[in-house]
Amino acid sequence: MVRFLIFLLFSSWAIISAVGVITFTNPVYVILWLLSALIAIAGIFFTAGAELVGALQLLIYAVAIAVFYVFVLTAVPWEKALKKGTHYRAEGILSFPLILLLYAEMLIVFLLGVTASPEGKFRSLMAKLGNTEVVGSILFTKYFFAFEVVSLVLLIGMIGAVLIGRKESQTYENDTP
Amino acid sequence: MKMIPLEAYFVVSMVLFGLGVLGLIVRKNLVTVLMSLELALNAVNVAFVGADAHLGLVEGQIFALFIIALAAAEAAVGLGIIIAIFRLRFVESTDEITDMRG
Repeated sequence: MVRFLIFLLFSSWAIISAVGVITFTNPVYVILWLLSALIAIAGIFFTAGAELVGALQLLIYAVAIAVFYVFVLTAVPWEKALKKGTHYRAEGILSFPLILLLYAEMLIVFLLGVTASPEGKFRSLMAKLGNTEVVGSILFTKYFFAFEVVSLVLLIGMIGAVLIGRKESQTYENDTP
Repeated sequence: MKMIPLEAYFVVSMVLFGLGVLGLIVRKNLVTVLMSLELALNAVNVAFVGADAHLGLVEGQIFALFIIALAAAEAAVGLGIIIAIFRLRFVESTDEITDMRG
């Protein structure tokens, strides 16, 4: 019961922070709301018993990626965009029924479909070893090839970011049609 | 672990994913569009980890780790594209990038 109360606390915190992410106009406030949402989602992971994913969420998302966004916000001046509005209001109102349609579709899947059958293949192993060791052992044995492919994707992403973001010798600001 | 029902995780994941998609549609600033995308990716992670805790498996957590790694790569490339767009065109709002409208 206490665990469910903590889950409700973290999930309501995450949803409030998500509303803040999509409504605030100043990008600095938006990155702070996103950081709050990421920490709340890490709390949801901890209540689900996934300590490794929660810790990596805190380390990678809430530290590395958030700091990266802050760096880009300092490189790009956003005062000009702030002056002429930061939201598509008409498009938002028009797309809101589509979001409700998405929710209705998921609700139909909930009500009609069979959600899951508890199998518990690793539950005894997890009680003996703990979450982190089980996840690590499965990751480095059964999914080792996918792990290596992900490292290759990260390398390609790094090379692509360096190639895209490097300084050009000339700019083309005057030939915009 | 059995006290939290699976549907609770899915409801939270649905609400967060809908808010992220709404932010992707509504936002004008390119950096905040990418932030909404991160929110949607995290919603998928919540669904994976919640289903995992219900089933007693670890595959969902492994896929959540893969999603986190790919989100890092996506943030690097996407923010590099944003900086390149700003450096070449001096715009960072999605309504000014109309070169391919035809």
